[in-house]
Amino acid sequence: MSGIETVRVIVEAEREAAKILEDAENKASEIRKRLESLIEERRSQLLQSARKEAAGILKNAESEGEVEAERHASRSRERLHQLNRQAASRRAAAVEKLLSIVTES
Amino acid sequence: MAAANEKAQSIINAAELETQKALEDAKSHLSREAEEVIRNAQAEAEAIRRRQISEVKHKMKLREQQDKNRILSDVLEETRKRFFEIASQEDKYQPFLVELIAHGVDALRLDTAVVHLCARDLNNLDIGRLHREVAKKLKQQVTIEWSKDPIDTHGGALIASTDGKTRIVNTLDQRFEALEPKLLIEAGKTLFGD
Repeated sequence: MSGIETVRVIVEAEREAAKILEDAENKASEIRKRLESLIEERRSQLLQSARKEAAGILKNAESEGEVEAERHASRSRERLHQLNRQAASRRAAAVEKLLSIVTES
Repeated sequence: MAAANEKAQSIINAAELETQKALEDAKSHLSREAEEVIRNAQAEAEAIRRRQISEVKHKMKLREQQDKNRILSDVLEETRKRFFEIASQEDKYQPFLVELIAHGVDALRLDTAVVHLCARDLNNLDIGRLHREVAKKLKQQVTIEWSKDPIDTHGGALIASTDGKTRIVNTLDQRFEALEPKLLIEAGKTLFGD
Protein backbone atom coordinates (compact mmCIF):
# COMPACT_ATOMS: atom_id res chain seq x y z
CA MET A 1 0.00 0.00 0.00
CA SER A 2 1.35 3.38 -0.97
CA GLY A 3 1.74 6.23 1.48
CA ILE A 4 -1.20 8.09 -0.11
CA GLU A 5 -3.35 5.01 0.07
CA THR A 6 -2.49 4.60 3.76
CA VAL A 7 -3.41 8.19 4.54
CA ARG A 8 -6.73 7.78 2.71
CA VAL A 9 -7.55 4.67 4.77
CA ILE A 10 -6.74 6.50 8.00
CA VAL A 11 -8.82 9.54 7.04
CA GLU A 12 -11.71 7.27 6.06
CA ALA A 13 -11.48 5.43 9.38
CA GLU A 14 -11.42 8.69 11.32
CA ARG A 15 -14.43 9.97 9.40
CA GLU A 16 -16.26 6.73 10.15
CA ALA A 17 -15.32 6.91 13.82
CA ALA A 18 -16.53 10.50 13.98
CA LYS A 19 -19.81 9.43 12.38
CA ILE A 20 -20.21 6.65 14.96
CA LEU A 21 -19.66 9.14 17.79
CA GLU A 22 -22.01 11.67 16.23
CA ASP A 23 -24.72 9.01 15.91
CA ALA A 24 -24.13 8.01 19.49
CA GLU A 25 -24.46 11.62 20.65
CA ASN A 26 -27.69 12.00 18.68
CA LYS A 27 -29.08 8.84 20.18
CA ALA A 28 -28.11 10.01 23.68
CA SER A 29 -29.80 13.31 22.98
CA GLU A 30 -32.98 11.52 21.88
CA ILE A 31 -32.93 9.40 25.02
CA ARG A 32 -32.70 12.55 27.15
CA LYS A 33 -35.48 14.23 25.17
CA ARG A 34 -37.74 11.21 25.72
CA LEU A 35 -37.30 11.64 29.48
CA GLU A 36 -39.60 14.67 29.65
CA SER A 37 -42.46 12.95 27.90
CA LEU A 38 -41.90 9.82 30.02
CA ILE A 39 -42.13 11.86 33.20
CA GLU A 40 -45.21 13.72 31.96
CA GLU A 41 -46.83 10.44 30.98
CA ARG A 42 -46.05 8.91 34.37
CA ARG A 43 -47.29 12.01 36.18
CA SER A 44 -50.51 11.96 34.23
CA GLN A 45 -51.07 8.26 35.08
CA LEU A 46 -50.35 8.71 38.77
CA LEU A 47 -52.48 11.82 39.14
CA GLN A 48 -55.35 10.33 37.20
CA SER A 49 -55.28 7.30 39.45
CA ALA A 50 -55.01 9.49 42.57
CA ARG A 51 -57.89 11.70 41.44
CA LYS A 52 -60.02 8.63 40.79
CA GLU A 53 -59.25 7.35 44.28
CA ALA A 54 -59.94 10.81 45.76
CA ALA A 55 -63.31 10.97 44.00
CA GLY A 56 -64.14 7.56 45.48
CA ILE A 57 -63.12 8.72 48.96
CA LEU A 58 -65.34 11.80 48.69
CA LYS A 59 -68.28 9.82 47.35
CA ASN A 60 -67.94 7.33 50.21
CA ALA A 61 -67.66 10.15 52.69
CA GLU A 62 -70.90 11.68 51.41
CA SER A 63 -72.82 8.44 51.75
CA GLU A 64 -71.17 7.47 55.06
CA GLY A 65 -71.87 10.96 56.37
CA GLU A 66 -75.50 10.70 55.30
CA VAL A 67 -75.86 7.34 57.04
CA GLU A 68 -74.17 8.62 60.20
CA ALA A 69 -76.24 11.83 60.14
CA GLU A 70 -79.45 9.83 59.71
CA ARG A 71 -78.43 7.59 62.62
CA HIS A 72 -77.89 10.68 64.73
CA ALA A 73 -81.17 12.23 63.57
CA SER A 74 -83.01 9.03 64.39
CA ARG A 75 -81.55 8.99 67.93
CA SER A 76 -82.45 12.66 68.34
CA ARG A 77 -86.01 12.08 67.12
CA GLU A 78 -86.40 9.26 69.63
CA ARG A 79 -85.04 11.52 72.39
CA LEU A 80 -87.47 14.23 71.30
CA HIS A 81 -90.42 11.82 71.47
CA GLN A 82 -89.27 10.76 74.91
CA LEU A 83 -88.99 14.42 75.94
CA ASN A 84 -92.53 15.13 74.72
CA ARG A 85 -93.92 12.01 76.42
CA GLN A 86 -92.22 12.94 79.69
CA ALA A 87 -93.42 16.54 79.48
CA ALA A 88 -96.99 15.42 78.76
CA SER A 89 -96.97 13.09 81.76
CA ARG A 90 -95.62 15.84 84.03
CA ARG A 91 -97.73 18.68 82.65
CA ALA A 92 -100.46 18.58 85.30
CA ALA A 93 -97.90 18.48 88.11
CA ALA A 94 -96.05 21.40 86.56
CA VAL A 95 -99.19 23.54 86.36
CA GLU A 96 -100.01 22.74 90.02
CA LYS A 97 -96.48 23.65 91.07
CA LEU A 98 -96.60 26.96 89.20
CA LEU A 99 -100.00 27.74 90.67
CA SER A 100 -98.64 27.15 94.16
CA ILE A 101 -95.80 29.57 93.40
CA VAL A 102 -98.07 32.38 92.16
CA THR A 103 -100.59 31.94 94.94
CA GLU A 104 -98.13 31.61 97.82
CA SER A 105 -97.96 34.78 99.85
CA MET B 1 -12.93 1.82 15.13
CA ALA B 2 -13.43 -0.49 18.06
CA ALA B 3 -12.49 2.38 20.34
CA ALA B 4 -15.08 4.59 18.61
CA ASN B 5 -17.78 1.95 19.06
CA GLU B 6 -16.84 1.53 22.68
CA LYS B 7 -16.97 5.28 23.26
CA ALA B 8 -20.32 5.49 21.41
CA GLN B 9 -21.78 2.75 23.59
CA SER B 10 -20.49 4.49 26.68
CA ILE B 11 -22.20 7.77 25.60
CA ILE B 12 -25.49 5.95 25.08
CA ASN B 13 -25.15 4.03 28.35
CA ALA B 14 -24.47 7.25 30.22
CA ALA B 15 -27.58 8.85 28.69
CA GLU B 16 -29.73 5.84 29.59
CA LEU B 17 -28.37 5.74 33.12
CA GLU B 18 -28.94 9.44 33.54
CA THR B 19 -32.50 9.12 32.22
CA GLN B 20 -33.23 6.15 34.45
CA LYS B 21 -32.07 8.05 37.52
CA ALA B 22 -34.01 11.14 36.57
CA LEU B 23 -37.11 9.02 36.04
CA GLU B 24 -36.71 7.38 39.46
CA ASP B 25 -36.34 10.79 41.11
CA ALA B 26 -39.38 12.03 39.23
CA LYS B 27 -41.41 8.95 40.27
CA SER B 28 -40.68 9.62 43.91
CA HIS B 29 -41.74 13.25 43.52
CA LEU B 30 -44.87 12.27 41.56
CA SER B 31 -45.83 9.72 44.20
CA ARG B 32 -45.70 12.44 46.82
CA GLU B 33 -47.87 14.62 44.56
CA ALA B 34 -50.42 11.81 44.18
CA GLU B 35 -50.35 11.08 47.93
CA GLU B 36 -51.06 14.76 48.53
CA VAL B 37 -54.16 14.52 46.33
CA ILE B 38 -55.36 11.52 48.38
CA ARG B 39 -54.54 13.20 51.70
CA ASN B 40 -56.50 16.30 50.67
CA ALA B 41 -59.43 14.13 49.65
CA GLN B 42 -59.32 12.32 53.01
CA ALA B 43 -59.28 15.62 54.89
CA GLU B 44 -62.16 16.91 52.78
CA ALA B 45 -64.05 13.65 53.36
CA GLU B 46 -63.66 14.06 57.13
CA ALA B 47 -64.88 17.65 56.83
CA ILE B 48 -67.90 16.50 54.80
CA ARG B 49 -68.79 13.89 57.43
CA ARG B 50 -68.36 16.39 60.27
CA ARG B 51 -70.44 19.02 58.43
CA GLN B 52 -73.29 16.59 57.72
CA ILE B 53 -73.43 15.45 61.35
CA SER B 54 -73.07 18.98 62.65
CA GLU B 55 -75.96 20.16 60.46
CA VAL B 56 -78.19 17.38 61.76
CA LYS B 57 -77.14 18.04 65.36
CA HIS B 58 -77.89 21.74 64.96
CA LYS B 59 -81.25 21.06 63.29
CA MET B 60 -82.32 18.60 65.99
CA LYS B 61 -81.11 20.88 68.79
CA LEU B 62 -83.19 23.69 67.28
CA ARG B 63 -86.22 21.40 67.05
CA GLU B 64 -85.76 20.29 70.66
CA GLN B 65 -85.59 23.91 71.75
CA GLN B 66 -88.71 24.75 69.74
CA ASP B 67 -90.58 21.83 71.29
CA LYS B 68 -89.48 22.83 74.79
CA ASN B 69 -90.50 26.46 74.20
CA ARG B 70 -93.90 25.37 72.87
CA ILE B 71 -94.50 23.08 75.87
CA LEU B 72 -93.35 25.76 78.34
CA SER B 73 -95.60 28.37 76.70
CA ASP B 74 -98.57 25.98 76.85
CA VAL B 75 -97.96 25.19 80.51
CA LEU B 76 -97.48 28.84 81.37
CA GLU B 77 -100.69 29.76 79.51
CA GLU B 78 -102.66 27.04 81.27
CA THR B 79 -101.29 28.21 84.62
CA ARG B 80 -102.20 31.81 83.81
CA LYS B 81 -105.74 30.74 82.89
CA ARG B 82 -106.11 28.67 86.07
CA PHE B 83 -104.62 31.49 88.16
CA PHE B 84 -107.11 34.01 86.81
CA GLU B 85 -109.92 31.52 87.38
CA ILE B 86 -109.10 31.62 91.10
CA ALA B 87 -110.75 35.01 91.16
CA SER B 88 -114.08 33.32 90.51
CA GLN B 89 -113.64 30.86 93.43
CA GLU B 90 -114.49 32.98 96.45
CA ASP B 91 -113.21 30.49 99.04
CA LYS B 92 -109.74 30.58 97.51
CA TYR B 93 -109.72 34.09 96.17
CA GLN B 94 -110.81 36.12 99.17
CA PRO B 95 -107.99 34.96 101.51
CA PHE B 96 -105.53 35.48 98.69
CA LEU B 97 -106.86 38.96 97.97
CA VAL B 98 -106.63 39.83 101.67
CA GLU B 99 -102.96 38.79 101.60
CA LEU B 100 -102.29 40.85 98.48
CA ILE B 101 -103.93 43.97 99.92
CA ALA B 102 -102.34 43.63 103.38
CA HIS B 103 -98.94 43.05 101.86
CA GLY B 104 -99.34 46.12 99.64
CA VAL B 105 -100.57 48.33 102.45
CA ASP B 106 -97.67 47.28 104.70
CA ALA B 107 -95.19 47.83 101.88
CA LEU B 108 -96.54 51.34 101.26
CA ARG B 109 -95.67 52.42 104.88
CA LEU B 110 -98.19 55.30 104.96
CA ASP B 111 -100.86 56.31 107.45
CA THR B 112 -103.57 56.11 104.82
CA ALA B 113 -103.77 53.77 101.84
CA VAL B 114 -106.27 53.74 98.99
CA VAL B 115 -107.19 50.29 97.65
CA HIS B 116 -108.35 49.90 94.07
CA LEU B 117 -110.13 46.74 92.89
CA CYS B 118 -111.53 45.53 89.57
CA ALA B 119 -115.22 46.06 88.73
CA ARG B 120 -116.12 42.41 89.39
CA ASP B 121 -114.66 42.51 92.91
CA LEU B 122 -116.26 45.86 93.66
CA ASN B 123 -119.64 44.41 92.67
CA ASN B 124 -119.33 40.92 94.16
CA LEU B 125 -117.26 41.19 97.32
CA ASP B 126 -118.39 42.29 100.74
CA ILE B 127 -116.02 45.24 101.12
CA GLY B 128 -116.81 45.58 104.84
CA ARG B 129 -115.76 42.00 105.51
CA LEU B 130 -112.73 42.43 103.29
CA HIS B 131 -111.77 45.56 105.24
CA ARG B 132 -111.96 43.70 108.56
CA GLU B 133 -109.90 40.78 107.33
CA VAL B 134 -107.25 43.06 105.86
CA ALA B 135 -107.09 45.09 109.07
CA LYS B 136 -106.44 41.88 111.02
CA LYS B 137 -103.48 41.06 108.81
CA LEU B 138 -101.78 44.45 108.94
CA LYS B 139 -98.58 44.84 110.90
CA GLN B 140 -99.22 48.55 111.48
CA GLN B 141 -102.16 50.89 112.10
CA VAL B 142 -103.28 52.20 108.72
CA THR B 143 -106.45 53.89 107.52
CA ILE B 144 -107.73 52.11 104.44
CA GLU B 145 -109.92 53.83 101.89
CA TRP B 146 -111.66 51.83 99.15
CA SER B 147 -111.73 53.46 95.76
CA LYS B 148 -114.99 53.19 93.84
CA ASP B 149 -113.20 53.58 90.50
CA PRO B 150 -112.52 50.09 89.11
CA ILE B 151 -109.17 49.13 87.64
CA ASP B 152 -108.72 46.97 84.58
CA THR B 153 -107.33 43.66 85.88
CA HIS B 154 -108.28 40.00 86.34
CA GLY B 155 -108.15 40.43 90.13
CA GLY B 156 -105.96 41.52 93.00
CA ALA B 157 -105.54 45.12 94.04
CA LEU B 158 -103.65 48.31 93.45
CA ILE B 159 -102.71 50.06 96.68
CA ALA B 160 -101.85 53.74 96.42
CA SER B 161 -101.12 56.78 98.53
CA THR B 162 -103.99 59.30 98.75
CA ASP B 163 -102.36 61.52 96.14
CA GLY B 164 -101.79 58.48 93.89
CA LYS B 165 -98.08 59.23 93.54
CA THR B 166 -96.95 56.07 95.32
CA ARG B 167 -98.45 52.81 94.17
CA ILE B 168 -98.02 49.13 94.88
CA VAL B 169 -99.47 47.04 92.09
CA ASN B 170 -100.57 43.68 93.51
CA THR B 171 -102.95 42.65 90.75
CA LEU B 172 -103.08 39.05 89.52
CA ASP B 173 -101.83 40.17 86.12
CA GLN B 174 -98.84 41.99 87.54
CA ARG B 175 -98.05 39.20 89.96
CA PHE B 176 -98.08 36.62 87.22
CA GLU B 177 -95.97 38.78 84.94
CA ALA B 178 -93.42 39.47 87.68
CA LEU B 179 -93.13 35.77 88.50
CA GLU B 180 -92.93 34.60 84.88
CA PRO B 181 -89.12 34.14 84.79
CA LYS B 182 -89.24 32.05 87.98
CA LEU B 183 -92.23 30.10 86.68
CA LEU B 184 -90.41 29.28 83.46
CA ILE B 185 -87.40 27.96 85.38
CA GLU B 186 -89.57 25.85 87.68
CA ALA B 187 -91.65 24.56 84.79
CA GLY B 188 -88.47 23.60 82.94
CA LYS B 189 -87.18 21.68 85.97
CA THR B 190 -90.46 19.84 86.48
CA LEU B 191 -91.14 19.06 82.84
CA PHE B 192 -87.67 18.29 81.53
CA GLY B 193 -85.61 17.52 84.63
CA ASP B 194 -84.20 14.04 85.19
